[in-house]
Amino acid sequence: MTCVGRDAAAASLDVTNFGAESIQVRAEHNRLLHTSPSRGTLLSIMARLFGIETEYGIAVEGKGAGDLIQESIALVRSYRGRFADRWNYRGEDSRRDMRGFTVERLSTNPDDAQFDLAGTPKMGHAEERSDRVLPNGARLYNDHGHPEYATPECCTLQDLVAHDRAGERILLECAERRAEEIKGEVHLYKNNTDYHGASYGTHECYLMNREAPTDTLIRALAPFLATRQIFAGAGKVGVEVDRRPEVGFQLSQRADFMSVVASVDTLHNRPLVNTRDEPHASPTKYRRLHVIAGDANMSEWATAMKVGTTELTVRLIEDGFCPKVYPKDPVALAKSVSREPSLGGCIEVEGGQRLSAIELQRVYAAEARVRLAGSSADADWTLDEWDRVLDDLETDWTLVADRVDWAAKRMLLEQFMKAESLTWQSPMMQSLDLAYHDIDPSAGLYYGLEQSGGMRRIVTDEAVASARTCPPQNTRAFLRGLFVRQFAEEIHSVGWNGISFRYEGEDWLFDMNPLVGEDVAALNEKFAGVETLADAVRVIRSRRAQASPA
Amino acid sequence: MITKLEERITRPVPTAPERKPGGDGDGPAKPNVDRPDSSDLLKRMKRVDPDAARRYRQRSGQ
Repeated sequence: MTCVGRDAAAASLDVTNFGAESIQVRAEHNRLLHTSPSRGTLLSIMARLFGIETEYGIAVEGKGAGDLIQESIALVRSYRGRFADRWNYRGEDSRRDMRGFTVERLSTNPDDAQFDLAGTPKMGHAEERSDRVLPNGARLYNDHGHPEYATPECCTLQDLVAHDRAGERILLECAERRAEEIKGEVHLYKNNTDYHGASYGTHECYLMNREAPTDTLIRALAPFLATRQIFAGAGKVGVEVDRRPEVGFQLSQRADFMSVVASVDTLHNRPLVNTRDEPHASPTKYRRLHVIAGDANMSEWATAMKVGTTELTVRLIEDGFCPKVYPKDPVALAKSVSREPSLGGCIEVEGGQRLSAIELQRVYAAEARVRLAGSSADADWTLDEWDRVLDDLETDWTLVADRVDWAAKRMLLEQFMKAESLTWQSPMMQSLDLAYHDIDPSAGLYYGLEQSGGMRRIVTDEAVASARTCPPQNTRAFLRGLFVRQFAEEIHSVGWNGISFRYEGEDWLFDMNPLVGEDVAALNEKFAGVETLADAVRVIRSRRAQASPA
Repeated sequence: MITKLEERITRPVPTAPERKPGGDGDGPAKPNVDRPDSSDLLKRMKRVDPDAARRYRQRSGQ
């Protein structure tokens, strides 16, 4: 199969080597964005696709870190629902940098070598990944010894939160099944650190206009991402890099592991702004912003705000916005903000001005309100919550303990610490930190808070239950889910941007690169009634004929 | 101190503006949620193994 070249003129697929007819769905693209002449402001006419990929921490009774690749594989394979088992890597190359080059190899953490067990036979890539593409459009697989759940593409915050939580429930069932198999305990943690210097990611993806200049993207995003943790941080007991014992609690799990401002790396020497260039859509029109600097959030509100504020910031950048304030050292800033839970630190920016992390966030929030208020319900909700959380943080951090993970965790742990005459350095405190992220509702401390009514909810349990099997109705994930649910036996492989399958003795490719616009919802409606693969092919062909009249 | 913890976990939660539930494009809503008595939170914390974090080792991920 030939991949779409990054300079291809259109999202068409060369299937010469595929040996069969190609199905090309040519969606009628709206312009991604336009400028309102009357207001001079940017309005979005496309519901942006976004998603979250979470690598879970895994602890298996009687097993060490050297066993975790096998344990992660076994856990993923204990999934019992319907799935397709081959991932389609068309157009994926994690070494490609949006700054216009491809690195020879990605950095890896040399410390991991200690966990490579001698004599362990090498597995094939597909065997090690053990992909499960699910009927809800999500991807479940083993990634570097961590069970990873990538939500389907969503375009509303509610859908995204529901699917993120659905991933927890699916993984929890896998863990329970695996525990039964081994007659031992299996715990999964939605966090980003092992407290010994190993970190694993929770990544966000935002499809965005490729025309946004890369240097502007980096310069505008770095200060935002370095300070977003004041409301999106998950909190952490202790410090793992540049250890300073006087730091008992910090805002972020991930800040310790940021090394550079921008880079294509993700496993080591991690950047604030990841420059990986894998659009998973037409590479001439789009890029996929791959944010790796964030924490895994247990709080639904924090998940929604993390993505909501970043989505607004992306829109600002697409509109040409770049803040005039830029920190002298954004990476050092991320660490210092994280290690100053009083939020009292000052940021020195180029030009000598000094401001707080809250004030820096207000620069983005204020600009977003001017340019984007009224552009969507999600935008308005995010703008209101953004102002409110910054106001509350400025008044008293305990006011946000009902929705900000680090504050909820800190309040809970401080009370326990005082009651039990412990200190932040007591081993119990990091264990409590870990327990906050346990996704088992009967054991996790976050879930204890939520069950007490102490945490704000964004979605209902019914919406989460529905998201376990149902894809979002208004994105291309609907089509991925439909194929998995109804035609899994005919599928060769499934990816973010395409499905290859067998039909009438030939190999076909359903190119979903173009399916990122608003008209996808209408296409999904046509697909909703299909019962056979022939029906599906008929819909695709009619769509093609409609979009490309002779 | 136990009382204080329970005060924490049972204190009223600020309410968000009323919105329609469901993913209908109206922005995130605050749905009605059951609020069972969860006075077992402290017990849950005391059940945590103090050595859990010390034993917890992972491979680096992305």
